[in-house]
Amino acid sequence: MGFGRNCDDMQRGAFMRNYMIKRILWILPMLVGISFFAFVLITLSPGDPAEVALRVNEIVPTPEAIALMREQLGLDKPFFTRYVEWLLAVVQGDFGNSYVNNKSVFQEFIMALPATLYLSAVALIFIIFISVPIGVLCAVYEGSMGDIFVRVFIFLATAMPGFWVGLLLIWLFSVQLGLFPTSGMQAANSVVLPAFTLALTYIATYIRLIRNNMIENKQENYVTYAKARGLKESIIYRHIFKNSLNEVLTALGMSIPKLIAGSVIVENIFAWPGVGRLCVSAIFNRDFPIIQAYVLMMAVLFVICNLIVDILSASLDPRISQDG
Amino acid sequence: MKIRSVVFCVILLCLTFAVCGCGSENDRLSKNELVYASTKDIRDINPHLYGGEMAAQAMVFEPLVYDTKDGIKPGLAESWGVSADGLSYTFHIRQGVKFTDGEDVNAEAIKLNIDAVCKNKERHAWLDMVNQIDHGEVMDAYTYRLVLKKPYYPTLKELALSRPFRMISPKCFKDGDTKNGVNGYAGTGPYILTEHKDKQYAIFTKNKDYWGDQAKFETIKWQVMPDPQTILLALKKGEIDLLFGADGDMVDLDSFTALQKEGKYAAMLSEPVASRAILINAHRPITSDRQVREAFQYVVNKEGIANGVLNGTETVADTLLSPTVPYCNVPLKARNYDLDKAKQLLNVAGWSMNEDGYRYKNGKKMVVTLYFNSNNAQERTISEYIQSDMKAAGVELKIIGEEKQAFLDRQKNGDFDLQYSLSWGTPYDPQSYLSSWRIPAHGDYQAQLGLEKKKWLDDEIGLTLVEPDKDKRQLRYNEILTYIHHECVYLPLTYSRTKAVYMPKLKGVGFNLSQYEIPFEKMYFEK
Repeated sequence: MGFGRNCDDMQRGAFMRNYMIKRILWILPMLVGISFFAFVLITLSPGDPAEVALRVNEIVPTPEAIALMREQLGLDKPFFTRYVEWLLAVVQGDFGNSYVNNKSVFQEFIMALPATLYLSAVALIFIIFISVPIGVLCAVYEGSMGDIFVRVFIFLATAMPGFWVGLLLIWLFSVQLGLFPTSGMQAANSVVLPAFTLALTYIATYIRLIRNNMIENKQENYVTYAKARGLKESIIYRHIFKNSLNEVLTALGMSIPKLIAGSVIVENIFAWPGVGRLCVSAIFNRDFPIIQAYVLMMAVLFVICNLIVDILSASLDPRISQDG
Repeated sequence: MKIRSVVFCVILLCLTFAVCGCGSENDRLSKNELVYASTKDIRDINPHLYGGEMAAQAMVFEPLVYDTKDGIKPGLAESWGVSADGLSYTFHIRQGVKFTDGEDVNAEAIKLNIDAVCKNKERHAWLDMVNQIDHGEVMDAYTYRLVLKKPYYPTLKELALSRPFRMISPKCFKDGDTKNGVNGYAGTGPYILTEHKDKQYAIFTKNKDYWGDQAKFETIKWQVMPDPQTILLALKKGEIDLLFGADGDMVDLDSFTALQKEGKYAAMLSEPVASRAILINAHRPITSDRQVREAFQYVVNKEGIANGVLNGTETVADTLLSPTVPYCNVPLKARNYDLDKAKQLLNVAGWSMNEDGYRYKNGKKMVVTLYFNSNNAQERTISEYIQSDMKAAGVELKIIGEEKQAFLDRQKNGDFDLQYSLSWGTPYDPQSYLSSWRIPAHGDYQAQLGLEKKKWLDDEIGLTLVEPDKDKRQLRYNEILTYIHHECVYLPLTYSRTKAVYMPKLKGVGFNLSQYEIPFEKMYFEK
């Protein structure tokens, strides 16, 4: 009996190892594909990058100036040469320089990233600490007035656009109640409103997810069995909650990159100096090196988070690694 | 018990947040600090380049002379003289003035600055002045002579602009130059940039050694808020004291009127500073016909735009440049809204009305496209207004909003029938604005390409700028403006104004000649 379990464990370990290797190997072509996509996207976009680089510095784009800038930016070289050169530089952390201020794109990101990570981390805390208790309570008191109220809230929170919610929150909590500054990140409590705005849609999603999973689990045989055994309701709910968490954790894993990439609008409304704002101003100025770097970095973030979530799911549920 | 402690914690947390809140009005009064909100960061304020905000550049760096409503006034040059042939300008530099890094302001420093600008000609192609400078000479420690190739008449006006002819300490130069950036921002102006947090805020501190009237505020905080709605909310909360801007980039007209009506804030409008117009491309199939362009002048109800869309804050423009602009008080016939006349002109031009309510010529429908900058809500509303006016005359007007760079691309390529256009405003009008008509990258040039006398127009502008005799210069301006008016390449709409909204306790708010400068040094809080 003991030998059989050992064999099973070994087999499971081998499956898991193969699965991980396969998934990690897949990343490489995926990243090359993404980098190519990010590069092509800019090449296909209307407007000559050389002209843009001139115009953002208020230089009149005369044919001579354009030719000189094309040479400086290496745009006179064939497409694939440019792509390979760019890719090799990117691998070494060199994303080129911004057209607007000539600063290193990498440096610009490093400067802006902490603000976005801070915002996303606080938003994540809001998501966990608000959606879990409310989700559980809704499942426990299914059909109650509170549950109905929360369902209406979920509907509204998912339907309302982020920028509008942001402005409403500023109006209420900042202008009317005077609890928070309207924007910026100079005061200690500045993060509350932008993080809550960013978290709101996710809070609604996770309340629904936890509530529905728990309600489904309530119908399972093990619950009936536990009730028959006369277990206390609180213990039963603890089991139901634990069993409902798997799916939530997977979704949460994928929400992290979404939070970071999705902070664009919130950062603009709340004057938050993160990568989202960097990207928006780059789009308006057509600062192509920054846009390229943003697309690439966000794609890498998604791929990595996806990988981590997949591996975690596989380790929690062995059926995934065996199928995969 | 548990619930009680949770409630207690929440209340405690709220109170902590409230206490942590950002600087209150009282804080600012005691610190004597003005908070100004802008959608843009000040960025690199190197006065010889264009990467920074003009208002910030003008706070720190000064020109040789100032351009004011009362004419040219002394700046770093105490006095000056112009040679009889208009080719050389001798400036007597104010003695005892120092850059904020301790360097002396003398003829040598002025020469280094003007030379640094001239070494970077391609960046200043829009400004004819740079091409007109032959060389500069240091006559003695405090006398500098500027020698021109031709008697370029707007010399003093262009030396006074917010950039590029402003003076920075030669110690800040990088390898003897400024075109690749500077090491610091030591100027001579009323304020010193003492702190700059990229994309967040900048602090300007009063220059206690300023040679002129001391600024009244100890510090000016330039707060960056990219979203105009957030700026309005911050004003309502009392976090900021001043909004200031032209053409809807800081505060749109609806909000401006609403704030005015609310009565809690003071609001001020400048004199007309620039011209809002629609550029009609004479180099496109339908609009190449002068009669069509003339008909369009009568189609649009400008009164409706000025009073309806712009809430009466702007006045109707009968001519491209306001008669209050220097050299522009030229007798030109106003073309007022007259739908019947427009229809008659279109009929004569061969565009006859069909049953579907649109005009056709040789089986081709009259469809023209108007492009505008999609970031500007005001331009969209005005475009929609024009669209309905055009429909009444049987013209199908398509309106397309594009992001700024795409809009500029279209300008450069001449790929438009109609395009939204704003003149450069004072003090650039008329000389720099007209000068830019000669540059192919500008929409004006592209739209004028279809004109029979385009070459004459360009040459005439060039000659006007170097005409030393004022009367002859006026005659040349008359000819240029009359020709442009006759050819109907522009459909003038209104004359725009700069807007300021501020807390009532803030006094001394006013406008400089340039709509891009903010006279912070004159502002103060009422005690």
